[in-house]
Amino acid sequence: MSLTAPPAPLSASSQGMPPKRIARTRRVTFFVLTWLGTLLGTWLSFVYLSANGWRWAEILLLLCFIPLYYQLNTGFWTALIGVWLQNRPDNDALDLWGTLTADDQAADITATTAIIIPVYNEDVTRVWEGLRATYESLAKTQQLDQFDFFVLSDSDDTNKWIEEQSAWIELCRQLNAFGRIFYRKRRKPINRKSGNVSDFCRRWGKRYRYMIVFDADSLMSGALMVGLVRLMEKNAGIGIIQTFPKQICSETLLGRLMQFAQSLYGPAFMAGLNYWQNGEANFWGHNAILRLDPFIKECALPPLPATVPFGGHILSHDFVEAALMRKAGYAVRLLPTNRGSYEEGPPTMIDMLKRDRRWCQGNMQHFWLLFAKGWHPMSRINFAHGVLSYVSSPLWFAFLVLSTYLAALPGKGILDPDLAKRVGIAEQLLLGLTAMFIFLPKVVIVMDEMLTGRLFKPAKLRFMTLIGSLADTILFTLMAPVMMWFHSRFVMKIILGQGVSWIAQRRKVGGVDWREIILTFGSVTLVGAVWAVIAWYIGFQFFVWIAPILISLILAIPVAILLSGRSTGLRFGLFLTPEELEPPTVLSTLEDNLADVNSRHELQPELERSYGLVQVCLDPYVNGLHVSLLRRRRSTGDSREYLDDLANRFLKQGPTALKKTEINAIMNDTDIVTSLHYRLWSAAETDLAAFWRMAMKQYNLSATNPFTHLLAKKAVA
Amino acid sequence: MDALNIQFAPATGTEDEWNEAYARLADYFRSYRLHNRIRRTQLILETLQRAAKAHQAEPAKKPTAHAIEQARLLLHTWLGKIYADMHMTEAQIEASGRLGFHLAGGPDRWPSFFLDTKNLPADMTEAMRLAVRTSGPRLNVSKMTPRDIDLGLTHTAEDTIGRFEKHPWIRYIALAAFVALVISYVFRLLK
Repeated sequence: MSLTAPPAPLSASSQGMPPKRIARTRRVTFFVLTWLGTLLGTWLSFVYLSANGWRWAEILLLLCFIPLYYQLNTGFWTALIGVWLQNRPDNDALDLWGTLTADDQAADITATTAIIIPVYNEDVTRVWEGLRATYESLAKTQQLDQFDFFVLSDSDDTNKWIEEQSAWIELCRQLNAFGRIFYRKRRKPINRKSGNVSDFCRRWGKRYRYMIVFDADSLMSGALMVGLVRLMEKNAGIGIIQTFPKQICSETLLGRLMQFAQSLYGPAFMAGLNYWQNGEANFWGHNAILRLDPFIKECALPPLPATVPFGGHILSHDFVEAALMRKAGYAVRLLPTNRGSYEEGPPTMIDMLKRDRRWCQGNMQHFWLLFAKGWHPMSRINFAHGVLSYVSSPLWFAFLVLSTYLAALPGKGILDPDLAKRVGIAEQLLLGLTAMFIFLPKVVIVMDEMLTGRLFKPAKLRFMTLIGSLADTILFTLMAPVMMWFHSRFVMKIILGQGVSWIAQRRKVGGVDWREIILTFGSVTLVGAVWAVIAWYIGFQFFVWIAPILISLILAIPVAILLSGRSTGLRFGLFLTPEELEPPTVLSTLEDNLADVNSRHELQPELERSYGLVQVCLDPYVNGLHVSLLRRRRSTGDSREYLDDLANRFLKQGPTALKKTEINAIMNDTDIVTSLHYRLWSAAETDLAAFWRMAMKQYNLSATNPFTHLLAKKAVA
Repeated sequence: MDALNIQFAPATGTEDEWNEAYARLADYFRSYRLHNRIRRTQLILETLQRAAKAHQAEPAKKPTAHAIEQARLLLHTWLGKIYADMHMTEAQIEASGRLGFHLAGGPDRWPSFFLDTKNLPADMTEAMRLAVRTSGPRLNVSKMTPRDIDLGLTHTAEDTIGRFEKHPWIRYIALAAFVALVISYVFRLLK
């Protein structure tokens, strides 16, 4: 393996950058269509609202309407263009795969690539089994020698940290991958994920020409990763290639709904997005390959002015890194892949909202960058779209409130019987046009599936896809107003200065938590009920008009419960995806190994929760591993006394007697960790907490190998 | 290690205390995943005999504590021989050495030689030393310095003006729009 990367082009080559003529034609086509649709809707709305003269409410309503309609049109035209591209007989001139010749495909890879997996208190088994599946898939391509894997941990949960170390050593042992899979833990997680990646780049970036970024739940096939490296090698002008990660492994109705929708509608949207984004696509933070040299030189993120939540550390770093890469002259391309790139999604609505809360703050920060100097205009549009994706919720909410207000106005409101006569056909046209913009993309994509069988060839499965599409339309319609309500709250909270903390994303669900759902969605139901009473008093016509929104708000709790449940429609054949029906090898490997781990003997829940701590204190090998990986530090007399005191409490009262930071402190000290091991084994039973007495009795029964508790048991390669 | 001598009669400490020490040592050696019971028993008795002597010298300390301490000393001596010339501190030898034994497959391949300072099979020593040497990758430090992003709106205006100068047609459209607005306003006033 060559250790140093060849000099990357300082001024990017044009290879991989779409020709300006094509890019311009495509963008003009797309934005003309989008703005024509927006203007048409705006004009009809103008006609309708102006019929009773202009008051501040009508003006505000129209102002809310324009960005919402623009967003609607963006999605509509993206999807339609995507469907057209999918059905075009000729290959797309900008298809990246078309740049590779048969010789390119057959040649061995010489470029070095680092596959990095930043983690933060994630499910250890899922992370490492995902890595195993990816590693084995890559090994089958015979190109493994050019790839190194790095798990970059920022976990501040000590238990997870120790489990990660154990899983690392065991996986390396099983795969015989020492020197190929690396584990690095940062003591201080400065600047969160982007800081984690930057730290890797500073330490080891020079060793590699490319970096493939994974999320903790990412999964990629070896063939695709090798293909990505070949594309980067062939197209020196590309800085980032973003793949389309398909959602997998869902176990709840919401998860399966999302993965079905993504599988059915996603490819068309991706093709459409690629059509108009060209060389200025976005980076989504994972399942993408990056050219490291320009990334290191050009994409380090400065903090934003002002304080959190608007300023400070950039949360949604990926969009900004894509813009910086483009600013440096390198193309950022979207690769509309169908197979080989996967991720997991949030299992419940609450998990989805938690994730959206983070994304919302990150995207809102991009307000700062909209007017910054030097961006490519498309990067500004990407920022604007990101901001709009969340700001559209309060705009929609304001739109509905203003509509209610105008409907309630006596005489000259929007319920004025003479109004319909005065505006003529404009009202019906607007309604029809809006319905078309909302539903036509889905209808066209489903029709395309019925005719072409792009997902499934058997007629029965195509029919079930149609039924699934109808069901998902109903469920997404019920979800949308609830999401609007929460996103509006998120935006308002951010404007009022409430930041968001960094929490690990939950990707699996144990069961429906009714209490949490009722507490979360109770206020939504209340808002819906009050609004329904007001709408009823305003008039029946208005009540019917706004009923779909209000029904969704009122039903928020049962819908959230339904979506979080494990009745996923699978037994009826609903919401099937090709990955569920015929899982690719990389996915079936992961699923088999996870099943193997899940069938293992479990300790008592109390021990299971603190298994990492139990291991590091009791097991001579895990203790040795942990101490070996710690950096030895000199400690002062005071700190030694403090740490000894913590260690005493840890043994006499158990781990629950100490705070998270206190456990972290003792687990970061090599002397304390070593002495804990011997003190625990030396102590009389009466000097130990009940937790440790139980742990000592049960530990030796748990696993024949100290490191296999978290991973599938496989023979050493 | 000496041949198994099952005679054990400590001069100090109670029977219960030594029973507890025995049980603890048994668990402790099991945590090394030594599945060879005979070897485990050998080690327990050897360690207990050393612990009995130590307890005589320091009876205030419990036999269990002496037993684990003696096990630790045995380990130190054993690992010290294996990693003698590897320039490691005692603490490093203790931590990495234990791990090295596991990574080399020691509990399955050489259980009878665990803590045996007189018989060190060459292949075991080599495998344990090799396991400790595995580290990396070598750092290859690069600078990744954040570049300031100029966020000023004034610069945007500058950008916009620059664009106007680069593309005269934008200027003409803006001018035409402005004229149209003025004319329509005048027309409305005169109506």
